[in-house]
Amino acid sequence: MTLDTPIVGPARDAEKKTRGRGKASPTATAPSVAAGVDLEEATDRQLVTWTRRGDLAAGDLLARRCRRPAYLLALQLMRNPDDAMDVAQDAMLRFFSTLDRIDKGRPVRPWLYAIVRNRARDLMRRRQVRRHDPIAADDPEGGVELVSAAPRPDADAERAELQRRVWSALARLSEGHREILVLRDYQDLSYEEIATVLKIPMGTVMSRLHRARKALRDQLIGDEGTSAP
Amino acid sequence: MTDRTQHPTASAPCGRRFAEELLSGYLDGALTQGDRQRVRLHLEDCPDCRARFQEMTTLREATMTTRFAIPADDQWDETPRGALSLWSRRLGWALVVTWAAGLACFLLWQIAAGPESLLEKTVIFGGILGVVLLFISVLSDRLRAIPTDRYTQVHK
Repeated sequence: MTLDTPIVGPARDAEKKTRGRGKASPTATAPSVAAGVDLEEATDRQLVTWTRRGDLAAGDLLARRCRRPAYLLALQLMRNPDDAMDVAQDAMLRFFSTLDRIDKGRPVRPWLYAIVRNRARDLMRRRQVRRHDPIAADDPEGGVELVSAAPRPDADAERAELQRRVWSALARLSEGHREILVLRDYQDLSYEEIATVLKIPMGTVMSRLHRARKALRDQLIGDEGTSAP
Repeated sequence: MTDRTQHPTASAPCGRRFAEELLSGYLDGALTQGDRQRVRLHLEDCPDCRARFQEMTTLREATMTTRFAIPADDQWDETPRGALSLWSRRLGWALVVTWAAGLACFLLWQIAAGPESLLEKTVIFGGILGVVLLFISVLSDRLRAIPTDRYTQVHK
């Protein structure tokens, strides 16, 4: 396998870069009724606490912060924009109806991601009952638009090609392998966060992730073999 | 984290006694200082594992730099209902249905016990029965559609 795409500097998820830059609504920028502080500066944990107390502005901002990462993860798991929107909407509803159950002192995002993951699995299973293959074999990208952002055309094209190959290969991995690769390599979650989302011991994350990476590599090699003349 | 670098694994690229999964831990910065040092030394000494690690690094960079099109903000104007809203609506519906059923039973009993003739009672009960059957038909269709109707869960 030849993987000579130039390695770039520290990469961050697009969502993390754009987080907090979204169009602010009047309710979200208004001072919190419960805390009397600027909500935009609040952490997710603080917003959860204030939302539980009935602060509607905090709830609105929490929804705006969470819905995009929820959609992004749903998209990466479902590989279809319409399904991803369904899953994200369901997950957001579940997220807000279970705010009281989020452990104090624990980060909020893994809780949200666990809900998204469970909703995605539910929907995939329902789809598999009706449709044997959830991902159309002739459309490995599933209608998902990958956005290229590199400034150099050559490196951009080369990397974009590798990104497309990896994205297509992911579709043919097992659900478990795909999940852990998405959480680590697309969502950039820590091992501890992955363990929380997948509800597995932290000590098994590394071995499971490595097996998934090997499976991805084998899939890419297989794809090269089948596409060669 | 315990020292796992010397545990035998059959799948290590070099075939040596090396826990290959540590390459992933090394890539992700998830190893202890001791394990990190051992992996680093192994990579310096082992071209096979070094090549594998380079592949892993390249693949990870490819995935981490992948960007996805996200719906515009104006498509996100729907805010999920809160739990209070959902439960109050369910309770409200239950109370309204109970009240309507009770009221209907009372009125029907009043008509049945009233002085109207049998023909008049038949016409009244027939009309009421027709309306009730139509209502049940619509209600059952609606209830069947709820599980797949995501718009019941959002504010417009």
